[in-house]
Amino acid sequence: MTLRNPIVFIGSIAVVFAILFLWWLASVTGTVSRAFVPNPFDAWAALVRGFSRGDLLPQTIGTVGRMLQGWLLASLIGVVLGAAIGLSRTARDYLQPTLEFLRPLPASAIIPVAIALMGLSPGMALTVVAFGSLWPTLLGTIHGFAAVEPRLKEVARCLQMSGPAFAWKIGLPNAMPDILAGMRLSMTVALILAIICEMLASQAGLGTAILLAARAFQSSELFAGIALLGAIGLVSNLALRAVEIRALAWQNSH
Amino acid sequence: MLARPPEPAIAFDAIRVDLGGKTILTDITLDVKPGEFICVMGPSGCGKTTLLRVVAGLVQASAGKLSLFGKPVQGPSRKVSVVFQDYGRALLPWRDAAGNVALALEAAGMPRAEQRPLIETLLAKVGLKDHAHKFPGQLSGGMQQRLQIARCLAQDPEILLMDEPFGALDAMTRQQLQDEVLALAAERNTTVFFVTHDLEEALYLGDRVVALLPNPGRLARIVDVPLARPRNQLATREHPDFLAMRRDLFDMMHETH
Repeated sequence: MTLRNPIVFIGSIAVVFAILFLWWLASVTGTVSRAFVPNPFDAWAALVRGFSRGDLLPQTIGTVGRMLQGWLLASLIGVVLGAAIGLSRTARDYLQPTLEFLRPLPASAIIPVAIALMGLSPGMALTVVAFGSLWPTLLGTIHGFAAVEPRLKEVARCLQMSGPAFAWKIGLPNAMPDILAGMRLSMTVALILAIICEMLASQAGLGTAILLAARAFQSSELFAGIALLGAIGLVSNLALRAVEIRALAWQNSH
Repeated sequence: MLARPPEPAIAFDAIRVDLGGKTILTDITLDVKPGEFICVMGPSGCGKTTLLRVVAGLVQASAGKLSLFGKPVQGPSRKVSVVFQDYGRALLPWRDAAGNVALALEAAGMPRAEQRPLIETLLAKVGLKDHAHKFPGQLSGGMQQRLQIARCLAQDPEILLMDEPFGALDAMTRQQLQDEVLALAAERNTTVFFVTHDLEEALYLGDRVVALLPNPGRLARIVDVPLARPRNQLATREHPDFLAMRRDLFDMMHETH
């Protein structure tokens, strides 16, 4: 999302409006049934109504909270564990095959296991979100710590730097681009899993709201919820991107 | 009582280095005096970089004894600093120039408040005073190498090891840096162990030139360079003695090749 030039920026906005226009056109001409696809103005009205009178706000807070908690837990575990594994060749050799097996496992597949072990509890949702969104950050961190330039390792040896000093001053900054890129991917996974947990385990949030709206053929509410999820994804991604640009200023300074 | 001669800064005693089952260096015996500027020269594959890495403590000798100021080498030490050829990889890209110099001071455990004036002095010394807040990626090759030299000086080393430090620089920058390094070494009376494949560079900089031959790397010749100091890029290089030594070493390297 870099603004290369104003014409491209205006063009990208125009694409959004073109899609909204086509959507509107499809709904007013009756190409698709109103029971399934509302007109965009109705969806907007449902969104405003949901926030002013309904319980869309607490539901949004519920979903965002679930996503953020799981994501923060995953990030913490991912960075600490990833640093330990990335710094040690031996740890990598022993753990890499297991990690490669666990990584492609669809996190939604562990939801039944988590429900069986923990019931339909907030703890279950937190566990599932954290487990699923752990992988991008963990693997990014491992790679970032393992990929320190060999010459810098020699510089550290020549300066007689301690292990923790090396991890903190050379390993971590070296891994930072991979960590932040991983955390951005993790955020997306966390949102997806937060919604799935809500749908499967009836935790109050946007996931349940969307599911109930769909079952009641309230297409306006359904689309309002989907648009809101899109907005949450967009805003969180932009926020993380801004952090990335600030923290990695040195990368763009050439 | 007779005054004992000072301990050599670097004493190689029958050093042999085997790496991967192959003998890289054999029978290296050489004393480097404190404050001496010694240049090690030879074709690629003669083990000159390996010899430097042995002094740095990064490679262990397979046989023989190596002592620095009378003490056997047990591994890398902050009293010995290394200027690597690939400055681009030896600097921290995420730290600005001042931060890169600070790394050496932090490693030595210097309090932050004391670091600042020293960093300023060191950067000024290598001509980077106005670039303290630039990242390595924003500096030219010559400036990056100056920065690495500043970081090495921050270690306040007794011995400065330089591994073909100017090999990747253009001719003009190389000559500038040669003179700067000579001035810095003279000012601090640091012992310098300078590795190069460039015969003229070795003669221009060194008090002595050690010529190595390959397969396996071994001492071929040790030449005293009694040219006047401070050296001058034109006068020194045009001096009849310089030219005679250049021819002599050149012939030697080619005959035995």
